[in-house]
Amino acid sequence: MSEITLLFAGPMGAGKTTAIRAISQIEPINTEVANTDFSESGKAETTVALDYGELSLDNGHTLRLYGSPGQRRFEFMWPLLAEGALGVVVLLDNSRPDPLADLRLFLDAFARQIGAGRVVVAVGRLDSHPQPSLDDYAEAVAARGEFLPVLAADVRRRDDVTALLDVLFDQIEAQAAAADAAGDDDEWLQLVRRARSQ
Amino acid sequence: MNQISRSLPPSLKSAIDEAVRSLHQRVPAAIGCVVATVDGRLVAQVVDNGADPQRIAAMIGSMVALGETIGREVRIDRSDYVVVNALNGILLAQRVPARRELFVVSTLARTTTNLGILLHETRTTAAEIGRAVDAWLDHYQAAAAAAAAAH
Repeated sequence: MSEITLLFAGPMGAGKTTAIRAISQIEPINTEVANTDFSESGKAETTVALDYGELSLDNGHTLRLYGSPGQRRFEFMWPLLAEGALGVVVLLDNSRPDPLADLRLFLDAFARQIGAGRVVVAVGRLDSHPQPSLDDYAEAVAARGEFLPVLAADVRRRDDVTALLDVLFDQIEAQAAAADAAGDDDEWLQLVRRARSQ
Repeated sequence: MNQISRSLPPSLKSAIDEAVRSLHQRVPAAIGCVVATVDGRLVAQVVDNGADPQRIAAMIGSMVALGETIGREVRIDRSDYVVVNALNGILLAQRVPARRELFVVSTLARTTTNLGILLHETRTTAAEIGRAVDAWLDHYQAAAAAAAAAH
């Protein structure tokens, strides 16, 4: 196994296309078209099928980076893109009208990945829109009986995006340790351990 | 200019509704015709088989964009239309050609349909809607110019 798939999900305008562009080592493939619904976002264009980028790791493995469309009408794409993904980065935009509702929507959508401990939540535009705070997000996650890393991120910055992936891999490594203790043997987790050790 | 309000201009909506009805009637084995915005919002529909028009609208938006992306990626240039040939039916989707390509049109038909006829009729309808879109743009731009001149 030499390829790992990661998915960037979240509502329209949260920065999924931007995050992939920030770290991809190939020119990203995208499916952006004219945005005709400014009630959803003021963006001129919006992704309607997927984004795709690639990032090579030092150990020769390739990270395949997928981005999903954000509007709820495209939710049929979310499980398709999450299928086989090692982990999911849920990007949220704190300037949207109800970002905690966005959080709940996407946590529901990726419940399976959350159950496997393979989701990290990143909140953008906290500088200009400080409420809700990261603590509010953490409380909302905890209220669901879940524990997920919740971080602030400016996905225009490559370092912020790679930091998110580091946290995601840490999370997955922690799952690996737990799986080891349970005598479980997961090929994906072994792959991440090897990738992280180099 | 990209923005399509939640309620389309009545003249344009009426033209698209009529084009969809006409397409559905012209293709004998048609079981659905849907027009959506390129970003997957339902504009007009006639669907007979119980499929959800809202979901069809989102899916044809994704399909057409993905077809165009794949066409570019594999260097066969721009995709003209996308076909899903399934066990119990055919779905054909394409962009509406206009000065601003803001809509997609699709036809869903039983397998007894000839694909050539389906393509021809869908293209004819797309062109018809395209003319209506261009007329709307002409009207919009003339109104904007008149408003600017008045100030």
